[in-house]
Amino acid sequence: MFCDEALDAVEAIAAGDLTPDGRVAEHLTTCPNCAAALVSARALERMLRVRSIPKPPAQFTTRTLARVRRARWRSEQFLDVGFNVAIAAVVLIVIAGIWMLLNRSGLVAVSNDVVDLFGSSLVAFARRVGPSLPLYAAATALLATALGIWWWAERDATY
Amino acid sequence: MEAGNERELVERCRRGDEGAFQELVDRYKDLVFALIARTVQDRSRAEDLAQDVFLRVHRGLPYFRGEARLSTWIYRIVANVCVHDQGRPAPALSLDDERMRTRTPSASDRQFGDLELRDRLEKAIARLPSNYRLVVAAHYLEGVQYEDLAEALALPLGTVKTQLHRAKQQLRRMLETDLK
Repeated sequence: MFCDEALDAVEAIAAGDLTPDGRVAEHLTTCPNCAAALVSARALERMLRVRSIPKPPAQFTTRTLARVRRARWRSEQFLDVGFNVAIAAVVLIVIAGIWMLLNRSGLVAVSNDVVDLFGSSLVAFARRVGPSLPLYAAATALLATALGIWWWAERDATY
Repeated sequence: MEAGNERELVERCRRGDEGAFQELVDRYKDLVFALIARTVQDRSRAEDLAQDVFLRVHRGLPYFRGEARLSTWIYRIVANVCVHDQGRPAPALSLDDERMRTRTPSASDRQFGDLELRDRLEKAIARLPSNYRLVVAAHYLEGVQYEDLAEALALPLGTVKTQLHRAKQQLRRMLETDLK
């Protein structure tokens, strides 16, 4: 019974966490099994203290930062897509709501006339603007390129 | 690391300063990697998990309230990552497994001698339950106190000490004949 008590304490004694009291100290000097256990525990303690410390690979920081950037970019993309979908859904709901309101109030018939009028104005406008269309297209492409470069630079400047 | 510096570093990271986060990784990578590599005993897996830890640190920094020390919070994340990794099947190694004897001896190994015993110690540690492996790994790293471990693992101080002593008791039994 006393051996069990002493054996339970040998790790703590070997680590210096426990100083054996008189009874345990005496037992450890007289019981060969418990004394051997204490010797083993001390040997184990020494081995654990000098155990080699694994070092991270040389490129660890670079690889970790790259992974953090990728994760951040992915989460931003996810947020962007979510935001755009939400906005599109809201716009669709608003349009559907307005259309239903007009339908109920009988304004659709009136709005058909407005659409016809708007359509003929649009044709006239297209005839006037037609010749300058390549210029507008070039300006739009330039603006889109500038926005693309800005987005790319902004994405790379933050992590 | 002083508390003021730590707070400043955390604040800079929160503002999106990449240099600050790099500094944080550089400060803690040795500790995090050593803890994980000693727990999972597979270098490439250890690197993956250590990167996971820093990814979680990056995600969690906006919510870090500074009630615990940064290092303690990071130990806690390491502990969680190691516990989650526990689900993966561990390689079943016997203490006499020949595959484990191919490690190139380092200078310190030669200095302290008895390579085979060290090899058997590593294999014996690999056979411990993961919570025991973590306390053994952490306790024998410089600068990790019982108190840090207790806080990180959310365990009473006495429980951490008991777990460590039980882990060593199991190791001693596994290596009984070698240690004599």
